[in-house]
Amino acid sequence: MKNNSLEKARAKSTAIAATVFLAPALLLILIYMIYPIFDTFRTSVYKWNGISADKIFVGMENWKTLISDQVFWMSFGHNIVVMIFSILLQIPIGLLLATFLDATGKKTNIFKIIWFFPYLMSSVAIAFLFNYILSTNDGLFTGIATFINGKRTIIDLLGKNPQALFAVIGVMAWQFTPFYMVYFIAGYSNIDASLYEAAVIDGCTRKDYLFKIAIPLLGPIFKTACTMSLIGSLKYFDMVFNMTQGGPARGTELMATYMYRLSFSEFNMGYGSCVAAGMFILITFIALLFNRIFVVKEDY
Amino acid sequence: MSKKLLAAVLATAMISSLAVVNAGAEEAKNIPELTTEPLTITLWDIATEDPTKAIQEDAVARFMADYPNITVNQVHQQNDNYKQQLIVAMAAQEAPDMYIHWGGGPMAEYYKSGFVNDITDLYNTYDHPDFIDAAVAQSTYDGKILAIPFGGLSGCDIFYNKTIFEEVGVEVPETITQLEEVCDKLLEAGYVPFSLANGSKWTGSMYYMYLVARHSGNAEFDAAYEQTGSFTSDAFIYAGEKIQDWVKKGYFNDGFNSLITDNGEDRALMYNNPCAMMLHGSWQARSFNTDNPEWYTENIGVFRFPEDEEAKAAGVPQNVEIGTAIGNGFSFNCWKEDGSVDEDKLNACYVLATQYYNDDIYNERQLNENSTTPSIKGYETAITDPVMVTITDVFFNASNVQLWYDQYLPASVTEVHKNCMTELFGLEKTPQEIGEEHDAAMQAALAE
Repeated sequence: MKNNSLEKARAKSTAIAATVFLAPALLLILIYMIYPIFDTFRTSVYKWNGISADKIFVGMENWKTLISDQVFWMSFGHNIVVMIFSILLQIPIGLLLATFLDATGKKTNIFKIIWFFPYLMSSVAIAFLFNYILSTNDGLFTGIATFINGKRTIIDLLGKNPQALFAVIGVMAWQFTPFYMVYFIAGYSNIDASLYEAAVIDGCTRKDYLFKIAIPLLGPIFKTACTMSLIGSLKYFDMVFNMTQGGPARGTELMATYMYRLSFSEFNMGYGSCVAAGMFILITFIALLFNRIFVVKEDY
Repeated sequence: MSKKLLAAVLATAMISSLAVVNAGAEEAKNIPELTTEPLTITLWDIATEDPTKAIQEDAVARFMADYPNITVNQVHQQNDNYKQQLIVAMAAQEAPDMYIHWGGGPMAEYYKSGFVNDITDLYNTYDHPDFIDAAVAQSTYDGKILAIPFGGLSGCDIFYNKTIFEEVGVEVPETITQLEEVCDKLLEAGYVPFSLANGSKWTGSMYYMYLVARHSGNAEFDAAYEQTGSFTSDAFIYAGEKIQDWVKKGYFNDGFNSLITDNGEDRALMYNNPCAMMLHGSWQARSFNTDNPEWYTENIGVFRFPEDEEAKAAGVPQNVEIGTAIGNGFSFNCWKEDGSVDEDKLNACYVLATQYYNDDIYNERQLNENSTTPSIKGYETAITDPVMVTITDVFFNASNVQLWYDQYLPASVTEVHKNCMTELFGLEKTPQEIGEEHDAAMQAALAE
């Protein structure tokens, strides 16, 4: 009896402590994440320029426009291309770098720091940096091509389609690969050293250990990394907007840049919100689908 | 040196003569009497860098010294995200009492949403600088005066490298045919005729706007704007075809669609590379001068966009110029809780904008420190820099100033227009196709 009441008291105090500690975070999430999502959906049924006091209720009008909006679906297509290539580039390269750093140990710690730099830079700075690097006027690539060719040769990566989109994908990979590198390093260090020792005693070579034991053990981490890369590339905005403003000729228009332009440049906040809400639904759907298709055994 | 001295003396004489004229008017200054109660005005501008910042802060400081009961809370916003900041502030009902804008479509949008006071009565009753007609026209929407200009005028002309022209042996062209001949000779001599950074999109638009204006004056654009005409009419097709022809002939530097003008990449092509000309806004004169004053004085000249001789023969006016007569304007947003106009505050804003911004001290500093000609009658004679003299001369002799399309068109059409400019120059779409896109966007905007 006494025991039971003690248990109850303990449960109660845990509950209070949990509430107190979680409340600030919950409150912030509620205000800055949940509420805006609902508000976006609410705004999406209005015709509103974003500043006027009167919003006109238009029902599903915006949504009907969205479904037949070629620009939106073209942007969505760009997002899908970005997503596929992001996963194909960022994750394998990240894994490669992490494997190298893990295998070589302390000797190469300096690379750990150098390779992480791109991720520490702000997207806007990266956009400016690569605008200069890719510039057709004395940019890095144009410079190299001119040097090799012996006469002025222009490599126009940002000014023409479809290569502009791939240039952007390349820059994104440069920016985000370090993140996955660190992620995989953490994954490797989570693998118990005894597994390696046991494998070596059983006559396992370094190569076999890597491909047959270590990498398979990273399975769950792969899945999370892919999901993050997937969501990240579907909602990507800042670097692209600063580097190409969605150009040339909408060739690098993503859903988010389109949404921004509608809301803030074209005075069409209602429809902009509708695009944002549409993005929310699409991204959630794709992320859930991905998680459903790729089931990875979590325990070993 | 003595020439410079003479120029300086002359300039001083001219400016002081202006000051004398205005001092005479000062005695009978007719301005609204301002409140003696404490009052705070929030002012948003984009003056983040000197000398603009110093000049504008000085205007505010002089106002506050004369009216110690009024505090002006001057906020300098970053230009890049200013428009977005303003929209967010307006939506949150926290918009400033007085704010900078560029006129055109956005000004109309702010007005329609109730964030701009109609100042027609104030303007007609009280003193104000003698703004040039084009500046007043650009501050007007729907027959109402909605802004006080203060940023000075910006024309759009062709900067050219005098040294290259001399070396190749070509003269400043007066007709489009002559311009093409000049371009061909420059190409033969191994130069690229035009420097263009069309990643910014509005830069390519300057060629398009001028070709349309030379071919049809304002007529076809005005008709297309009202959709009584079309963006596929003669002048637009002519402009589009000319541009694509010029691109194919190599009149522009390669890879122009990825260069950004805000990074100075088109200017860079004038400096280190074979580009001989650049059609651009007159503020580029200031940029050239800041980058390298000696090089600028030695090499840079300017001429107005050449005339279309066929159109001229048919009676189309050839002095419609592209640009902005106000640069920036201040609009006022002074309302009481109950939604009526806050007269006290509005009067104070009006006096600040017309008597402290735009006064002699302000205008002289704009002229001398900022290489900017105020949009006020009489200032065309106060300039000494030969490039600025030509630019101002062209501007003041214009029969009509066509505001940049990307400021004038409704915001949604502007985006379409800018994208079309990349596609047109990139030879991805025909002039007919982009005209149809403009029409569709314009019809959608008019239907609202």
